[in-house]
Amino acid sequence: MEFDDGVDEHDTPAEVDAAFRTLRRVAITHVVLFLAALMGVPALSLTLGWWSDGRLAGGMSPGFAMAAFGLYAFFLVIGLAAASLSSAVEARMLGGRHVDDADGFPPEEDRP
Amino acid sequence: MTVTSAGTLAALIALVALMTLVVRPRGSSTVDFYLAGQRVGVATNALAICGDYFSAASFLGVAAAVYVSGLDGVWYAVGFAAGFVPVLLFVAAPLRRFGEFSIPDFLGRRLASERVRLVAVGVVQIVILSYLIPQAVGSGITWQLLVGRGLPGLSAYETGVVLSTAVVAGLVAFGGMRGTTWTQAIQFLLLLGALVWLAVAVAGSGFHYSSAVAELSAEPLANPAPGDAGWYLRPEDNQIDPGAPALFGQPGAAYGPLAQFALILTLVLGTAGLPHVMNRYFTSPTGTAARMTTVWVIGLAGLFYALAVMLGTAARQQIAAAVDDHPWLEELTVDGVLLVPEHALPVLGRIYGGDSGLAVVAAGALVAVMSTIAGLLLAAAASWGHDVYERHINPRATETQAVWAGRASTAFVAVAAGALAIAMEPRELTPAVPSIVAAMVTWAFAIAGSALTPVFVLAIWWRGTTAAGATAGMTVGGLVSVSMFVLGALPVGPGLGETLMTPTLVAAPLAALVTWLVSRRTAPPDDVERQWLVLHGTAADRHAERLARLTLASLQQPTRRRSGRTARRREGRDAHG
Repeated sequence: MEFDDGVDEHDTPAEVDAAFRTLRRVAITHVVLFLAALMGVPALSLTLGWWSDGRLAGGMSPGFAMAAFGLYAFFLVIGLAAASLSSAVEARMLGGRHVDDADGFPPEEDRP
Repeated sequence: MTVTSAGTLAALIALVALMTLVVRPRGSSTVDFYLAGQRVGVATNALAICGDYFSAASFLGVAAAVYVSGLDGVWYAVGFAAGFVPVLLFVAAPLRRFGEFSIPDFLGRRLASERVRLVAVGVVQIVILSYLIPQAVGSGITWQLLVGRGLPGLSAYETGVVLSTAVVAGLVAFGGMRGTTWTQAIQFLLLLGALVWLAVAVAGSGFHYSSAVAELSAEPLANPAPGDAGWYLRPEDNQIDPGAPALFGQPGAAYGPLAQFALILTLVLGTAGLPHVMNRYFTSPTGTAARMTTVWVIGLAGLFYALAVMLGTAARQQIAAAVDDHPWLEELTVDGVLLVPEHALPVLGRIYGGDSGLAVVAAGALVAVMSTIAGLLLAAAASWGHDVYERHINPRATETQAVWAGRASTAFVAVAAGALAIAMEPRELTPAVPSIVAAMVTWAFAIAGSALTPVFVLAIWWRGTTAAGATAGMTVGGLVSVSMFVLGALPVGPGLGETLMTPTLVAAPLAALVTWLVSRRTAPPDDVERQWLVLHGTAADRHAERLARLTLASLQQPTRRRSGRTARRREGRDAHG
């Protein structure tokens, strides 16, 4: 569907496939980082003595500090980075101008 | 219960009821009843998702788990907060773009199969019921502590269960998703407000977080246990280093090495399969809005759980120190340690704010319970009303009939959850697990993460997923997780029992493997390429954004014309003047 100012609301299968592959790469990269941090904190608690026994300023161990608030800040940072990158990828790779309009745009009833 | 407590509670329920009344759906459309017209903004939806998600397990359970097992309890907070990162990366935007009414509806249409839809309805109902029961249990515990008396013929616990489920079922049946969205957003703000007030009160009294952790870790962690001569404090066994004492600031008080990872992964994977939370994404106007909503949720969840962990730690230190000055604590504690860990926050509230403080925290707990029950009942209604009634029982149902089917499902599921919560009153179970409410919610996460999440993610990210593969995957994931629970409840030995009670580590990979293997041998739906465009393309998003811009522009134009005329008139007056 196209409105009078030339904004194209049409994605071709090739564009969607390319964007899908890029978004998949973005998601997998971020989930690897996420899992490394998420599993790393309890893993360090089990393997490194100083992680649980060491004392930061005031007496809290690095392991407890990470579990009590450090990880939540990390989740927000990684979430924000992934969301911004994914949206930027979609904006860049989808919604371009097309010469051929007959290639698989879903009909009105298929739209959410 | 004092006049202040009663007044606080009554004002709160009146506020929620008023909001539901004001923003209730005016028509009889199912899109309005189940999806709030698909026009919920990012901030509002984020607050409503938080209201949905932060349940009794989050408000009472996380602080209780930290209170009773220190660092091992903190893993609940980490797992609950982390669960939205995979949702953001893999689910939020595509799910909204596909745009259905519920998880079964999404799977049924994506895989073009009514069998998949019905199997998913079965799994979703098990998850909803497993999640509803601990919420009702939480409301019973809170009523017991706040009011202490029951309606004629009912105990205080039973009264709390009956009243909370009945009130929420009424509000949901009346307000639908639109009313529920706003009440959940407000309920979350009230809940966060209660937590922030308590944190400020505790910090203002001179509580030093870091020193408290160090001080609590200096001696073995001990909790009440029943003995021949009554309750006594029994040191916790160290599950990681048998023989060494379990300490508050170190792992091992509740879980062995494998169980630590199993618990976190169970909670992380479970979030993406929670029907009441995922249904909220269908109410976003676009996929991009759904994604940004999740970023907000991650931020709010971090704040919420960081406060809950801090308050669990504060409760462990401060309640023991307060017993001498507060004689009412004697019947709730054994040598300064609470008999029921879920009482940690309400007791802390009473220590720092008297009866008003208790009322604020207990009202927060009831709000947490009510908003989650509301979301769960709506998800149950969407799945029974839309996926079963409209599709299979009465395919020619009018919109009004379909909405009434949703309302009837709400009442039915509420009665079932209330009855089961009464049958499972946790008095005798409490010492066995870190927090009975958090543990029961973990079972719901385990079933969701084992049976739904793997199939869900594959259906979104792998074109080759088939109906037969999804059905096999959900069945295997569900059966393996439930079987592991049953085995875990048996005396299978230290460490192994906890791992079996958090089965996602085994069940989710198995479900994914079975889905993949069966899908490889069967054919995907014919229109998979067309579906891919809807799932991963942004045409519908751009269409919605464009319409919104045009609507805004058309609304602003008359205003501009009016301001132009006013300016000309003013210029004319100035010229004459």
